[in-house]
Amino acid sequence: MIELLRRVLRSPQGALGLVLVGLILLVVVLGPWIAPYDPESLAPLQRYKPPSALFWLGTDQYGRDILSRLLHGARATVVMAVFATALGTLAGAVIGTISAFLGGRSDEAIMRTVDAVMAIPSLLLALLIVNLLGKSSWNALLAIAIAFTPGMARVTRSVALAVRKQDYVNAAIARGESARFIVWREMLPNVVAPIIVEMTIRVAFAVMLFATLSFLGLGAQPPASEWGLMVAEARRFMHLSPWMILWPSLAVAFVAIGFNLLGDGLRDALNPRT
Amino acid sequence: MSPAYILKRIVLVGYTLLVVSLIVFAITQILPADAAVMMLGENATTEALSALRTKMGLDASIWAQYGHWLAGVLRGDFGVSMRTGQPVGPVMIEALGRSLLLALFSIVLMLVLALPLGIIAAVRRGRIADLLVSVISYIGVSLPEFVTATLVVLVLADWLQWLPATGYVPLTENPLQGLRHLVLPVLTISVILIAHVSRMVRSELVDVLHTDYVRAARLKGLPKRTVLYKHALRNALLPTITIVALDVGYLLGGVIVVEEIFALPGIGRQLIVAIQSRDLPSIQAGALIMAATYAIASFLADIAYARLDRRIQYD
Amino acid sequence: MTPILDIAGYCLDYATPAGFTRALDAVTLGVAKGEVLGLVGESGSGKTSLAWAIMRHLPESAREAGRIRLIDKELTTTSEAEIEAIRGRRIGMVFQDPSTSLNPTLPLGEQLAEVLEHHRGLTRKQAWAEGEAMLARVGLKVPREMMRRYPHEASGGEKQRVVIATAFACQPECIIFDEPTTALDVITARQILDLFGELQAETGVASLYISHDLALVSRVANRVAVIHRGRIVEQGKVEEVFASPQDDYTQKLLAAVPRPDHRLVDDAGPGSEAKALVEVDKVSVRYGRKPFLAKLLGRENTQFTGNRDISLSVREGEILGIVGESGSGKSTLARALTGLNPFEGEIRFAGRPISGLKDMDRAYRRDVQIIFQHPDSSLNPRQRIREILSRPLALYGTVEQRKDANAIGALLEQVRLPAAYAERYPHQLSGGEKQRVAIARAFASRPKLVICDEITSALDVSVQASVVELLVDLQKRFGTAYLFITHDLNLVRQIAHRIAVMYRGDLVDLVDVAELSGGQVHAYTRSLIEAVPAPAAPASELPRI
Repeated sequence: MIELLRRVLRSPQGALGLVLVGLILLVVVLGPWIAPYDPESLAPLQRYKPPSALFWLGTDQYGRDILSRLLHGARATVVMAVFATALGTLAGAVIGTISAFLGGRSDEAIMRTVDAVMAIPSLLLALLIVNLLGKSSWNALLAIAIAFTPGMARVTRSVALAVRKQDYVNAAIARGESARFIVWREMLPNVVAPIIVEMTIRVAFAVMLFATLSFLGLGAQPPASEWGLMVAEARRFMHLSPWMILWPSLAVAFVAIGFNLLGDGLRDALNPRT
Repeated sequence: MSPAYILKRIVLVGYTLLVVSLIVFAITQILPADAAVMMLGENATTEALSALRTKMGLDASIWAQYGHWLAGVLRGDFGVSMRTGQPVGPVMIEALGRSLLLALFSIVLMLVLALPLGIIAAVRRGRIADLLVSVISYIGVSLPEFVTATLVVLVLADWLQWLPATGYVPLTENPLQGLRHLVLPVLTISVILIAHVSRMVRSELVDVLHTDYVRAARLKGLPKRTVLYKHALRNALLPTITIVALDVGYLLGGVIVVEEIFALPGIGRQLIVAIQSRDLPSIQAGALIMAATYAIASFLADIAYARLDRRIQYD
Repeated sequence: MTPILDIAGYCLDYATPAGFTRALDAVTLGVAKGEVLGLVGESGSGKTSLAWAIMRHLPESAREAGRIRLIDKELTTTSEAEIEAIRGRRIGMVFQDPSTSLNPTLPLGEQLAEVLEHHRGLTRKQAWAEGEAMLARVGLKVPREMMRRYPHEASGGEKQRVVIATAFACQPECIIFDEPTTALDVITARQILDLFGELQAETGVASLYISHDLALVSRVANRVAVIHRGRIVEQGKVEEVFASPQDDYTQKLLAAVPRPDHRLVDDAGPGSEAKALVEVDKVSVRYGRKPFLAKLLGRENTQFTGNRDISLSVREGEILGIVGESGSGKSTLARALTGLNPFEGEIRFAGRPISGLKDMDRAYRRDVQIIFQHPDSSLNPRQRIREILSRPLALYGTVEQRKDANAIGALLEQVRLPAAYAERYPHQLSGGEKQRVAIARAFASRPKLVICDEITSALDVSVQASVVELLVDLQKRFGTAYLFITHDLNLVRQIAHRIAVMYRGDLVDLVDVAELSGGQVHAYTRSLIEAVPAPAAPASELPRI
């Protein structure tokens, strides 16, 4: 683990990604405590304020402090995205592993179906599912997880097949090891690494997707301080106060950049060739 | 490339659309909303409701409903909108045309910018230019469409007042105004595509530049430019075709958001309206048409790839 | 005679984060017109770095000293533009693997003609006509057609002929041959060597022939230079260096070269009256399945046969060698024997019939072990050596072994590795050490048969020699039978009691090792024997190509 950390820090992307994601996690954990104001306290006299010493990032149409809302909203945005990705990864990994394990015609049938599902753009699939289940953060989470499942199934399958071809797996088969041992001890540790890389990069995408769903009014609901929702609400006042829309937009981009960088750094660090 | 390969791919497109139609139908048909209630309102009489259900075929079994719907789709009949009472098919196809225009401009802009960026980054690997392209593409892939849209509207429409922020004018009506209205949506959609494709071009080209045959070409005394354009690019751009086809999926997702933000009456906006008003036939038609667009794009990419890559023997 | 290529006191360092590492140290050598200088070294010796230095194809991290002169031109100080005019025109190069050194998306003719167009200013039409004549000159039967073919449509030998034609295209003064036959099958390699000999004699080009293969160099070169860790340790006439090597390293290298007459197992092996341990009876292996669509369109079966009716037996304590080129089905047989491939026919192990995977029980798994070619792939990169070696003990070891904390150490010492290696990961070991771990793993269950599938072909000659010696030692100690699969006829003639020859899925010969030369053998076997360069026997007259 320490070794991995050192290898991640060696590449500039990895180091920067680690710092950004570290900061984000810090905000997720400590956000509500370090927020200077109550994110939902209305202050009619302090509306549309530009950034100042008092309100670092300004205030919104109800006079709420934007910084405090962002700090509180980190949980709603980031934690949800991470959970959605983890859930989608798990489901995809199970399907991908089963497909690779079965092989032959079953494998082909499963993968063709996965390809077919991937013909529906992730955002559209998520929209349809949220619409089916009803607008809420949890349903958005589930929708994103489902939308990610086919892609992760594909990745898992190809990694599992590559590992399956390795001679250490052949050696284990020739040695007479049980299927259980081969899958858990020989294959899994080698399959997990690339999947973690893919998952990290997808967290970035999940943050964007989750914010987009909220932006379209199908994810988090007011008065939540989810960032996509904040952007959607601020649109009406864009001409009055561009700060309101700028900060949450940048926050989403910041998180996505962090996870993208960390994912690429991890990819380099876990590559045995480097 | 044999006819058998093309036939196989066509069968796959058919299978894809079948699966998609099942999913779309399943998701929409179990929507927690009674279509008949929606059309007649909450105060309708029971008799009127059941009469309408019979008329719409809603009292048949779910498989019979699916079969009926699919048979209609195959005839080109997507049903009647529950919101407007108009046939869904023509409306969606017309909207698709506007969306495709948006997509086409975006792809062209993407190719014009992403290819040179990726090539420069690969050739100047580890230099300032590479770093710059890398930074730009990291930011690009991390910006959701609604954020990009916000930024371009703030800068180009609000502050500089160069371009209209929303709306749509058909190109046939007023080409100049039509184009002016397309600039911001196209820019918004392209950002993520440019970022993604330029990264892919860079990494493919870096790999190809390290192959034995590129080194062999250099050691035959050929100048750098010849080696780059004649030997390396050809091999690096082949996989890019597949990536561009995969990105059509992103593109279609982006179309939904962008059309909503810029009030562009394409298929994405139709879908959002349909979803918000729970207009089942419109949702089904829109989703199916989008998936079909993606399936056909990846089919064409596969055929193009197979034609260009002589190594692959398809059967 | 003044040398064409003259290298004097040449040093090359690569900058690394930890400082400079020396790749070449005061290299001095020359190649005269009409001469072939063989440069021999193992992997990492710096022989390829020297080729890049001459071609002026060095990374930015390179620092140089000394000089490299082509007749009157000092290459180390020549500008990039001038170098481009020299490369391919005055110095040519033939690469190791024709399947990677040719651009897959350009026709072969284009890759030859572009050199003529660029360096000799020919028009496209002239270049293609001249290219066609050259392909005919390098022995390609249908040059006109070959010009239009893509690399995937030509065989390895045909592609290498195109590469050679390209190197000779502008009548250069000097050509560097970087292991030009290593990637080819034995018989094809021999034909390429013959072609090299002809062209060399005809053009009188100064040739630097780089190879790891001493035996081969002794056949093609006039003079030889031995390179070790970036230094030329010995240089001289081939006959002299091979007859009386002065340097320790050269002596070690020469001793490591497998020679058929230098048997490593002294006995003649168990005679024909000995009990058969494994009998392979009419075993066939077919790959692939009949694609549904192909059947639909009435096309023929696309199945591919790996083995066709193979019958042979391995006696107890016998070393049976299997030779054949790549694709001959020798590894397929090994995989069938270990249950990694489904097969038709029957295998009998110690009299017990085994007709498929289900019959391979614990006893069979314990008694039959396999060692693979690449230890990088056969050792799980995420397990320590201790864990890797503990598995066969857990499955088949005695109760004492499983309890004994030193059992792993004992296994390691058995293959002459320090017991402390148990705590290491595979990537912390060298190639030879990794292969020893794989051997230790195979022997942990005290098997009766060990299948060695090309286990030394990824290793350097000197490492190969020590691994083979270890195998012979273990065989003497435990009386294990080996199925020794290799493409190296000389190696297998050193250690095998009997040799099976495979060709395109068929078993074409199965003879005692003594009967191989001179006996009644299959035509393919004979051409195989003739194709292999006889290794340089010290102090003997060498036949020359």
